[in-house]
Amino acid sequence: MKNWWKILTVLLLVFTVVAGLLSEVPRLAILNETIRNLYFHVPMWFGMILILLVSVVYSIRYLRKPTIKNDIIAHESAKVGILFGVLGIVTGMEWARFTWGEYWSNDPKQNAAAIGLLIYFAYLVLRSSFAEQQQRARISAVYNIFAFAALIPLLFILPRLTDSLHPGNGGNPGFNAYDLDSRLRLVFYPAVLGWTLLGIWIVNIKSRLELLRQRLYEIA
Amino acid sequence: MKLLRLLALKSLLLIALFGPGATQAQPAQNQGTTIIAEPEVEMADLLRRDGKIYVVIVVLLTLLGGVLAYLISLDRKVAKLEKQVKDEMVNR
Repeated sequence: MKNWWKILTVLLLVFTVVAGLLSEVPRLAILNETIRNLYFHVPMWFGMILILLVSVVYSIRYLRKPTIKNDIIAHESAKVGILFGVLGIVTGMEWARFTWGEYWSNDPKQNAAAIGLLIYFAYLVLRSSFAEQQQRARISAVYNIFAFAALIPLLFILPRLTDSLHPGNGGNPGFNAYDLDSRLRLVFYPAVLGWTLLGIWIVNIKSRLELLRQRLYEIA
Repeated sequence: MKLLRLLALKSLLLIALFGPGATQAQPAQNQGTTIIAEPEVEMADLLRRDGKIYVVIVVLLTLLGGVLAYLISLDRKVAKLEKQVKDEMVNR
């Protein structure tokens, strides 16, 4: 069974939807039932980071061994990572509207996430500005490493140095208080794994398609 | 191992969802022999109870199923292309 992880993806996502809406959750003021967004909004960011990590790993591999395959996987996973990031920011805005009062309240983490996404948009723009394949692959790989290195402090360090509406930042107790809640963990971890695997699956299909296209050029 | 455990978890979930409905139906049938008026008719009441959250789950599962089915069909198409290209390379 080569594709066992694809079956796992389906099972995990079905579990996430069913258990995510039916399971017991802590009863908290303001959050109410929206705490269940923990299983859908937060995995977008976890998935984004993990898929962008795949991208940066393949960029480094490309610089060590410049094959078309390494470049293709780095590019495709960057694109899927960006998709997850955009979905994360949109779902976050929807959640924020009903808990923080506004779609965008210039929360440090919101702003940092937006800057991080802009840095990655620049990766796509940079890529598309080269006509020559090797030049494009090498310079994009170097930029990709920079982009990932910039994203980590933007999402995980800078927002924590100041007060933020996001949980776990500044003086905000937020999710840290019930991070230990095993009821949330039971669904949250499978949800993160499921959504991330879905992203990896898309990367897998798109990379194979792109490799086929390259091979077709070689044959022709 | 992981897969098996997941399957067990899923079947447990299904039992939790549909189990209570099945056990509740039995006492109603016994009453039906003595009282003829309004025998309890089996309906999909579970779907409408508890603020109808089950309806949302059905909708979400439908969406998820559609998207995943699409992804699987894409996967198969690419696999078929891969095989074609491979055969082409061998035959040259």
